[in-house]
Amino acid sequence: MSTQQPTQRRQAKRTPIDEYPSLTSRTQQETETILSEHGIINGEPTLQKNAHLQFLARNMIQGFPARYVSQDASQPWLLFWTLQSFSALQVGLDPGNRQRAIDKILAWQHPNGGFSGGPGQSPHLLPTYAAVCAMAIAGRPGPGGGWDQIDRPKLYEFFMSLKQPDGSFRVAEHMEVDVRGIYCLLVTAVLLNIMTPELVEGTATFLASCQTYEGGFSSASHPFYSVETDRVLRSPKPNLGEAHGGYTFCALASWVVLQSYLNLEPPPASSIGPNSQWGTEFTTERPRVDLKRLTRWLANMQGSEVELGGFRGRTNKLVDGCYSWWCGGAFSLLEALGIGGLQNLTSKDVEIDEIVDAAKEAGASKEEHHDGWDDIDESLFNRKALQEYIILAGQHPAGGLRDKPPKSADSYHTLYCLSGLSAAQHHIYPSHARKADTLKTWKDDESPYNTLRKAVFADVISWTEEDGTAKVIGPAATNRLNATHPLTNLTITHTEGIMKHFYGQEIPSRPFIKPMGTKRESK
Amino acid sequence: MKSRADSEEDQTPALFSERPEWSDVVTVPQYETDTPIAPILYSPEYQDASDYFRAIVKSQEHSERVLDLTEHLIRLNPAHYTAWQYRYETLLALSSPFETELELMNELAVKYLKTYQVWHHRRLLITHLRTPQPELKFIERCLQVDSKNYHTWSYRQWLLSHFVDNEDLWRDELDFVENAIGDDVRNNSAWHHRHFVVFGCGVRPGDEDRARVARRELTFTKQTISLAPNNLSAWNYLRGVLDTMKLPYSLLTQFVKPYTVPLDPKRIDIVDLENPPPPPGAQLPCVHAIEMLADIHEQAGDKDNILQAVELWKSLANEHDTMRVKYWEHRIRDALNSR
Repeated sequence: MSTQQPTQRRQAKRTPIDEYPSLTSRTQQETETILSEHGIINGEPTLQKNAHLQFLARNMIQGFPARYVSQDASQPWLLFWTLQSFSALQVGLDPGNRQRAIDKILAWQHPNGGFSGGPGQSPHLLPTYAAVCAMAIAGRPGPGGGWDQIDRPKLYEFFMSLKQPDGSFRVAEHMEVDVRGIYCLLVTAVLLNIMTPELVEGTATFLASCQTYEGGFSSASHPFYSVETDRVLRSPKPNLGEAHGGYTFCALASWVVLQSYLNLEPPPASSIGPNSQWGTEFTTERPRVDLKRLTRWLANMQGSEVELGGFRGRTNKLVDGCYSWWCGGAFSLLEALGIGGLQNLTSKDVEIDEIVDAAKEAGASKEEHHDGWDDIDESLFNRKALQEYIILAGQHPAGGLRDKPPKSADSYHTLYCLSGLSAAQHHIYPSHARKADTLKTWKDDESPYNTLRKAVFADVISWTEEDGTAKVIGPAATNRLNATHPLTNLTITHTEGIMKHFYGQEIPSRPFIKPMGTKRESK
Repeated sequence: MKSRADSEEDQTPALFSERPEWSDVVTVPQYETDTPIAPILYSPEYQDASDYFRAIVKSQEHSERVLDLTEHLIRLNPAHYTAWQYRYETLLALSSPFETELELMNELAVKYLKTYQVWHHRRLLITHLRTPQPELKFIERCLQVDSKNYHTWSYRQWLLSHFVDNEDLWRDELDFVENAIGDDVRNNSAWHHRHFVVFGCGVRPGDEDRARVARRELTFTKQTISLAPNNLSAWNYLRGVLDTMKLPYSLLTQFVKPYTVPLDPKRIDIVDLENPPPPPGAQLPCVHAIEMLADIHEQAGDKDNILQAVELWKSLANEHDTMRVKYWEHRIRDALNSR
């Protein structure tokens, strides 16, 4: 870790506008002016943990100000953002507030299955994810503990009631289809052990159809149906909306979860009909995502030095702290697909690296190559710069985190800035060794879906922190956050805790994970 | 159970609890406890409306007054998806005219551009009404307020997909998007829309000659790049055209090269419509052009070309695009490894 005090940064290059201004370049320039002022600091970049904890505690105990009425249909989100922010900051809840959280979450469960945005509202996929994740943090097994009060059979029925012929899901009855809903559904199904082949049949094909020419993913695609057979055509499936960070995270995480299903032997059949008038016959072909284009798009979302290395959510839009997670957090997911990270390096790669590094030294090019950052860091984004954006621009002086200065802080940005900071500090990857250990300890169950559930369980449990690769800018003891599971955005402890319960399986011990701060586990 | 609010200013509507026509309804409070964790500090007006709304959902009443109540609640919180959902079901139950509802939506959509629900509700209405044509003008008005609104653009794409065979609807779409790009050449939403229009919904009538379409798109994009070279949206579209039509990147070699080096003040412009040169104000070399040239070399695939690509990636990693040094190193490894 660097001990030198960061001083005034050198004048970073502005985004070139080629003497051809437009609305986009004007707002970009304004933002760069503000951000470059925040890039100048004295002393070390420091996370104001106490201010953020007070912000969170104020919302939780005193309540959210009236302007949060816009979140009245997202009450599970307000609680999840708050609880998970506490978890990231290594703070656990006292038993009294834990119980109040459990009781409140249960008030959102709908009699017909699923969770609603608030009591008396309709069940919806998004609040269902938020409620179940909040329950993973606050709940426990047994009476009154919340976990065993989740009606899983009804939840499964609710999920199936939303399924569409193209493999997608509506977010709620009569409501829109989009990949956020799919992510929320899949994570919930994974955590609660209700995944079946029937539930996810065709979903991977839908996700693949949401990738745009830029490489990122859009909100949804539009299905066309064959006049003769009434089946969904393979193409055209136009994207509804451009490549976007939030949708890309959701689609990519869903895609990673569905690898457990796509890798089943024998391969699952695609639900997409044959004999389309547009495309070629298509029945068992495995759906594909262009990973090279996706990686390029994600890498391009990181802002330049003058933007302090924050992430934007779409090409030519402004950087925003929440994309620290939606884009920055997505690089870990790529590793599950063979892109980036030490585990995916071959011996030939290592040789190549030596050649490249040698060339670099000979060129005597850039600073910062000897502070220990590059030696073992094989992440494909700039982890150090992202931490700087969040700490220098993402923190509101009065507590809480934000999109960018001079905006105010809110619960949503507080969590996704913290999750992004965590993703930039910790390198979490799907360890082949840990997966093998997990498969070894699996006890077969009576479920007809034993094979799929075993695969899902092992794939999710395999994520682990690479020893000694945490990189924390500024005072490490203060700035360090808990690691976040790249698929769930819960801590690894909370992810494993609730899965252990619902799968009834043992989880291999973890030799080198560090203790989880001050959390007090009640059981 | 209701906190009878001190009457606010005169123009605010009376609370539902003060309206005689609602006196038969027993309201449903949100939580059984007075001290739930992480509460929202509601205004009395919102609390009142949502107490009545929960009661209506509970009794499953679908009546005219429910339309009043849901409109009131939606105006206070347009993201209240259950209010929208219940309103839609009530419209269906009452066979209420969707034309009237659409007029209301014309007002609400512009007010609440950023909520999912206003746009989805509109889709439901237009699916029933089957009147897509006036929507185009409406969308244009919304884009004047917010030219990159995700919902607005996806709504337009949904409209064109849903009514894919309506040639009147589609007729001026290419002109529309050309204007949108002209208004702001860096508006990526407009570029994405262009890809949707040209490639998204299969081959449009008039576009059967694919070679001509490819030429048209490449020429348009290169011209736009020659106005403002450092515009990733245009470069991405350029790649998109080639990828979608499975054309080799090497088609761009001549065009790209002048953008990869510093501007030469002494150069002599030769009018070449296929390869428009950088403008005098261009800030060169352009990162996106260097990247494109590297990809041209990589795609060629032989050893010499790969080594040229590697040199270009190194110049990006070490000089022109240092933020992405890890990514460029990855590209180098990837290219050398797959040989």
